[in-house]
Amino acid sequence: MSQLAIRATGLSKQYRLGPTKLRHNTLRDELTFGFKRIFRRNGRVRSESDRIWALKDVSFEMKEGEALGIIGLNGAGKSTLLKLLSRITEPTEGRGEIFGRLGALLEVGTGFHYELTGRENVYLSGAILGMRKAEIDKKLDAIIDFAALEQFIDTPVKHYSTGMFVRLAFSVAAHQDPDILLVDEVLSVGDLGFQRKCMDYMQRLRERDATVIVVSHNMFAVKTLCKRAIYLAEGRVRFDGAAEEAIALYEREGRLGTAPWAYQMMGGNPSGAQIRITDVQLFDEGGMPRAVFDHGERIRVCIEFDAAERVMHPNFNVSFFRSDNLPCCNHNTAMDGLPIPWIEGKGAIEVVTPPVKLVADLYSIHVMVWDARFERLYAAQVGATCHVRHRELNKHFGVFHEPAKWRWVSGENGLVSTGAAPGVGRS
Amino acid sequence: MTTKALTLIEPRRSLLSLDLQALWQYRELLYFLVWREVKVRYKQTAIGIAWAVLRPVLTMLIFTVVFGHFAAMPSDGLPYALFAYTALLPWSYFAEAVGRSGVCLVGDANLLRKVYFPRLVIPLASVLSPLVDFAATFVVLVGMMAWFGVVPTRAVIALPLFLALALCTALAMGLWLSALHVRYRDVGHTIPVLIQMLMYASPIAYPVAIVPERWRLLYSLNPMVGVVEGFRWGLLGSAAPDLRVMAVSTVVVMVLLITGAVFFRRMERSFADVV
Repeated sequence: MSQLAIRATGLSKQYRLGPTKLRHNTLRDELTFGFKRIFRRNGRVRSESDRIWALKDVSFEMKEGEALGIIGLNGAGKSTLLKLLSRITEPTEGRGEIFGRLGALLEVGTGFHYELTGRENVYLSGAILGMRKAEIDKKLDAIIDFAALEQFIDTPVKHYSTGMFVRLAFSVAAHQDPDILLVDEVLSVGDLGFQRKCMDYMQRLRERDATVIVVSHNMFAVKTLCKRAIYLAEGRVRFDGAAEEAIALYEREGRLGTAPWAYQMMGGNPSGAQIRITDVQLFDEGGMPRAVFDHGERIRVCIEFDAAERVMHPNFNVSFFRSDNLPCCNHNTAMDGLPIPWIEGKGAIEVVTPPVKLVADLYSIHVMVWDARFERLYAAQVGATCHVRHRELNKHFGVFHEPAKWRWVSGENGLVSTGAAPGVGRS
Repeated sequence: MTTKALTLIEPRRSLLSLDLQALWQYRELLYFLVWREVKVRYKQTAIGIAWAVLRPVLTMLIFTVVFGHFAAMPSDGLPYALFAYTALLPWSYFAEAVGRSGVCLVGDANLLRKVYFPRLVIPLASVLSPLVDFAATFVVLVGMMAWFGVVPTRAVIALPLFLALALCTALAMGLWLSALHVRYRDVGHTIPVLIQMLMYASPIAYPVAIVPERWRLLYSLNPMVGVVEGFRWGLLGSAAPDLRVMAVSTVVVMVLLITGAVFFRRMERSFADVV
């Protein structure tokens, strides 16, 4: 019964970026470059190596009503794939077939103009997303309602708070009613109530049999929304199948990679680092290898390293990054009272964390070695991932939870004397 | 189950397809983009759209003092102020349209990177939106004509044609410039100079008659010569533009426009990657 929604055959996209000195941003550069090329006949200045395949030979099919997650490290080609599918840019090779109306949500607030009012922006942004005026007229009330902005709809959006802005922008986008929706990492914006609405909206789309492609770093979102996932690595499809398996593979392969944020700080060449982290393992207090910990348990992180030469005063760091890339906490030898004079050669070091108070989520553990004053970074690697479990606590509660002390200031056992607050503590 | 529209995604091979059908589908977006430019243009200004009028009026005053009085420039026997303002009318429109459309793609870079729509809509909107300013300046002209007691000739019905020629010229230049601007930001610096050069190469402050005869043909390659001449002919009753001259400028514009559209479509493929 189900028909084809998307068929991609060998989609490839090549970018001609290469080293910065070969980029021509001004006419002068281009002219001088042109002259050089004329005079230097044999010198093939622009070689194949200046080009990179951001995406190579990506083929897949999607049936109507399917939900597909796309995961992969930064630069694996996820966004390029969405851009090709939404026709923002053309493929270098291959072809794609899209059956039905496609809506893309690559950014919240595309086409919004700060000087215009909320209502005006609904029309503008709706038209940019490909809606007809009559259609927007019909949906206007629903859009305003969904964003919960009735009072402010005729105020210029430059006076909006970020939350209001995002709500309105998403609301317009959500009313596109596409057959196929592409979503790029937008669901992680907005406050708790709004996020629920977004998830509800996605679920409603799913029930309506819309086809959905979600690109996300948030493995939980991918798991909840999609049965199937494609894991992209270096522009190619590394795995296409059950979401669980794709995520497991992604997590396994993502281990011990240099943390994306650290490339710049380490001079762009992590392989020449003085210290290499050779292994990171997680155990519980009893020494059993574990990947899932209950809220309140201690985690033992064992780090094996190899220092190519003597490094003075190294400072070992273990940082917990939440699945949405938020750094949550850090333990380091310098502050935790283990000064290290120097290291050389192979070694291992271990930290036992205090009872983990982080909310339930997936965390990746980054291991870094700084100098004593956090000025020089010797190594930064994504070491391992672990889940923290708790029945209620999730990231909507914040980063961590510790019990606090509560007491009554007036009234007792919930019997507030004014009687204005009914039923506190009873029932 | 209804069959759904099929969209093909593949590398474009034909350079000559303008895909006017897609443009037609997105005509409402064109309307909204024009509307946005008009709305946003004079937001948070004290006198609003009056700026559209003030600019040509001030230029007219300067010209009248400098060229009309000091230099005693001939003006086809018409009051110099009216002579200059009638020319400034299509000129201001043209200058504004080229100025806006030349840089329009970079100005809307975030749209190019994040949504699909026929890119031609953007320069089209930039060329259409100054028509609103044009209408405002036109009202002032009507007042001035009444003041000086000048009655338009029957040729006034040809006015839309001349305006259309100015629009096509601006669009042609806008297509070339904006597509180049995505890659070379030099264009942004070139445009004001280009517009100024063109202004002196058009009979705005002076009549065509003072251009030496042997330069005329070269001179009339500038399509704005015909447009300005046409405006003075229709509104003030000065000599009709030379048909030969008009033919030359129209051909020039059409060539520029078609090559501009083809060039734009060719460059369009890399807009999102380069901008």
